[in-house]
Amino acid sequence: MALPICFAILLMGCNDEKTLEVNNLGGEEAEEVKAIMENEESIYSGRAIFVEDQLMVAVQAKPWLDYKKTKIEKNLKKKLKESFPEYDITVSSDYKLYWEAQKLLDEEDSEKVKEKVEKLKKLKKEET
Amino acid sequence: MNQEQFEQIEQQITPSTPYVKNVLKAFLVGGLICTIGHAITYFYIIFFDFTEKTVGNPTAATMIFLSMLLTGFGLYQKLGQFAGAGSAVPVSGFGNAVISAAIEHKTEGFVLGVGGNMFKLAGSVILFGVASAFVVALIKLILVTMGVIEW
Repeated sequence: MALPICFAILLMGCNDEKTLEVNNLGGEEAEEVKAIMENEESIYSGRAIFVEDQLMVAVQAKPWLDYKKTKIEKNLKKKLKESFPEYDITVSSDYKLYWEAQKLLDEEDSEKVKEKVEKLKKLKKEET
Repeated sequence: MNQEQFEQIEQQITPSTPYVKNVLKAFLVGGLICTIGHAITYFYIIFFDFTEKTVGNPTAATMIFLSMLLTGFGLYQKLGQFAGAGSAVPVSGFGNAVISAAIEHKTEGFVLGVGGNMFKLAGSVILFGVASAFVVALIKLILVTMGVIEW
């Protein structure tokens, strides 16, 4: 019984497909963000949160590329900026933002989402 | 018996050090300590407002506090005997060094005994840690100024 479960977990690690999620407030632009994240080779997972003029993208870099995080963030931000010049874009590969983005995915109340995104942006700037 | 003979006999009698076994033990226990540390890291990220950038300090503090408690209860010594460097190299070894020195010199009084000797071992860790941090920061500053890397 335990063996197949172990196998399933092991094989899931070899899965090449990315888990990309975008929240409902995104509308048409959701697909575009997904496409951009799909083309980014160095990440294995990404979550995008749209709220008013804010776009927060939290990604997870592939384990072997973890040391290049800042570079990955910068590249992705540049690509997103080209597609969505009207949005205020935040890109982070930090696990905290990734974890909180999961909670925001199903949140319907845009006021709450906005508040949370602002808080996360502040956290991202924190150094100590 | 001259000295050469003595050395020969001495080498025959001395049991050979089980290097591979020691290395394996250190690897496993050191890895276990670091896994616990990582679990604490995720605990702070998920339940408190820490990011990957800021979570290092509370994690190190917690690990040191835990190893201090274990040292006080006399458990960390047993772990140290079993694992050797595996229990001394991670940051928990720092807490052990502070508290074991404090316990050792307790009989000499609180000020000159505990206070004066507490950082007997750990003091060098702090000194060389600060000194090497300064050097590393200097190198990074030079590299950033040259435009090789970013902050």
